[in-house]
Amino acid sequence: MQRIIQFFVSIGNALFFLGNVFFCALKGRIRWGEVLKQIYEQGIQSVIIIAMTSFASGAVLALQGYVMLNRFGAKEYVADLVALSLVRELSPVFSSFIFSGKAGARMAAELGTMNVNDQIVATRALGVDPIEFLVVPRMVACFLVLPGLVVFSDLFGIFGGYIIGVADAGIQSSTYIHQTLRAINYVDFFSGFIKTLFFSVAIGWVCCYQGFHTKGGSLGVGKFTTKAVALSYIVVVISNTVLTKIILAFWG
Amino acid sequence: MIKVANLKKSFTGQAVLRDISLNVAPGELIVILGESGSGKSVFLQHLIGLLKPDSGSIEIDGVDITTLSERKLLKLRKNIGYLFQEGALYDFMTVYENIAFPLHEHTRLRLKEIKEKVLNILKLVGLEKAGMKFPSELSGGMRKRAALARSVVLDSKILFCDEPTSGLDPKKSKEISDLINDISRRSKCTTVITSHDIYNSFRIADRLVLIDHGQIIARGKPEEIELSSDPKVKEFLI
Ligand SMILES: Nc1ncnc2c1ncn2[C@@H]1O[C@H](COP(=O)(O)OP(=O)(O)OP(=O)(O)O)[C@@H](O)[C@H]1O
Ligand SMILES: [Mg+2]
Repeated sequence: MQRIIQFFVSIGNALFFLGNVFFCALKGRIRWGEVLKQIYEQGIQSVIIIAMTSFASGAVLALQGYVMLNRFGAKEYVADLVALSLVRELSPVFSSFIFSGKAGARMAAELGTMNVNDQIVATRALGVDPIEFLVVPRMVACFLVLPGLVVFSDLFGIFGGYIIGVADAGIQSSTYIHQTLRAINYVDFFSGFIKTLFFSVAIGWVCCYQGFHTKGGSLGVGKFTTKAVALSYIVVVISNTVLTKIILAFWG
Repeated sequence: MIKVANLKKSFTGQAVLRDISLNVAPGELIVILGESGSGKSVFLQHLIGLLKPDSGSIEIDGVDITTLSERKLLKLRKNIGYLFQEGALYDFMTVYENIAFPLHEHTRLRLKEIKEKVLNILKLVGLEKAGMKFPSELSGGMRKRAALARSVVLDSKILFCDEPTSGLDPKKSKEISDLINDISRRSKCTTVITSHDIYNSFRIADRLVLIDHGQIIARGKPEEIELSSDPKVKEFLI
């Protein structure tokens, strides 16, 4: 019973935290200098590993897709398969996973260390709102960086598929490009993109909240950071299912 | 003027402050002495509203801060210097940036004026050479001095210092006590210091307050405390 109450109390606290962040951001109390620093750190940190992952996923999709589609004599459709799976589903989800493992963990660990060293309460003592100074810039950066990374990941993944399609499956380069462009409607792109926007808020929220409430010294930092990443994964997986269902219901 | 009346606070059933009442006159320098765990830090954090009491009131210049919202408290805290027990400097900023931070936040000074001010105060605390270092590259004593510089850079009229000398050798303890004393006297700052450093506390305090298990067991001028016949006080002073 106590656990259940505690669970709801912590959900309430987390929502209150998010409310504070939104309130602050909507009132225009966004420190763009800090945001830029965060964008730089979060973006740089994840970009290479996301490029590698997407390239490899695109390539593997093309390899596997070719085996299947070739049986039906429809090997050109490898391009459609690669582009659609990436843009609609794989890029947003994989990029979010990687992003929460890198940038999310970093945010949680930074804020967590600050909290156990009294730097967050010291911010309050200096008459500065720690949400405004430390959390809002991180979350705004998240919101701007992750969608960018996903577009980047779409492009790299399609490029991976293209390499396999052209070099290995013997599809003509122009056919592959033509096929890809025809396959992706703006609906496909936006259904992935909208999910990404949602994930970016969710990851920023979970990781900043966990970091902001880290207790228990260096052990606590480790514990809360792992928790932040695990929770972001869960939130991404579950919300992805729900959002996919909703988006399919509206757009098909 | 600071007026604390009947302050009580417990954490998960453990009473940490039990009925503390205390007045501090403008310009007065008070040292709160007590053993480790007696509730000094908790008390000091109440004075700037970082913690909310279970009951009791804290008036600063006529305003009861226990009822203020966090937003109002943030405004109020601009006018109060607070030195944390562990310094709590931002570890992602250099010492210079740490000290300049309150000036950037709360004043409209130009960059040049800020620079001048920070360099002055760095000199005052003897850290001219350490401005470009990060807190992690400083010794404990230097970190304390840097944190002190950050807490007094706005020339506030109220200064709270949480154990400024803990973890320092006797010579450094004396230095930093004198430094706080100097700063406080020069700007006629109302100052509350917590400490278990008996020697330095007796040297600089106008008044001493002894606290034990969240209760005040003695208060008065250093001479009076020294002559006290209370066994608990005597035990602590040995
Ligand atoms: N946030 C908190 N939650 C629970 N208990 C706390 C909290 N903060 C302090 N305490 C408890 O309150 C008591 C007093 O702590 P406080 O930090 O005020 O001691 P102190 O007098 O400053 O000691 P020291 O000289 O070691 O700094 C301790 O027993 C501590 O365990
Ligand atoms: Mg203490």
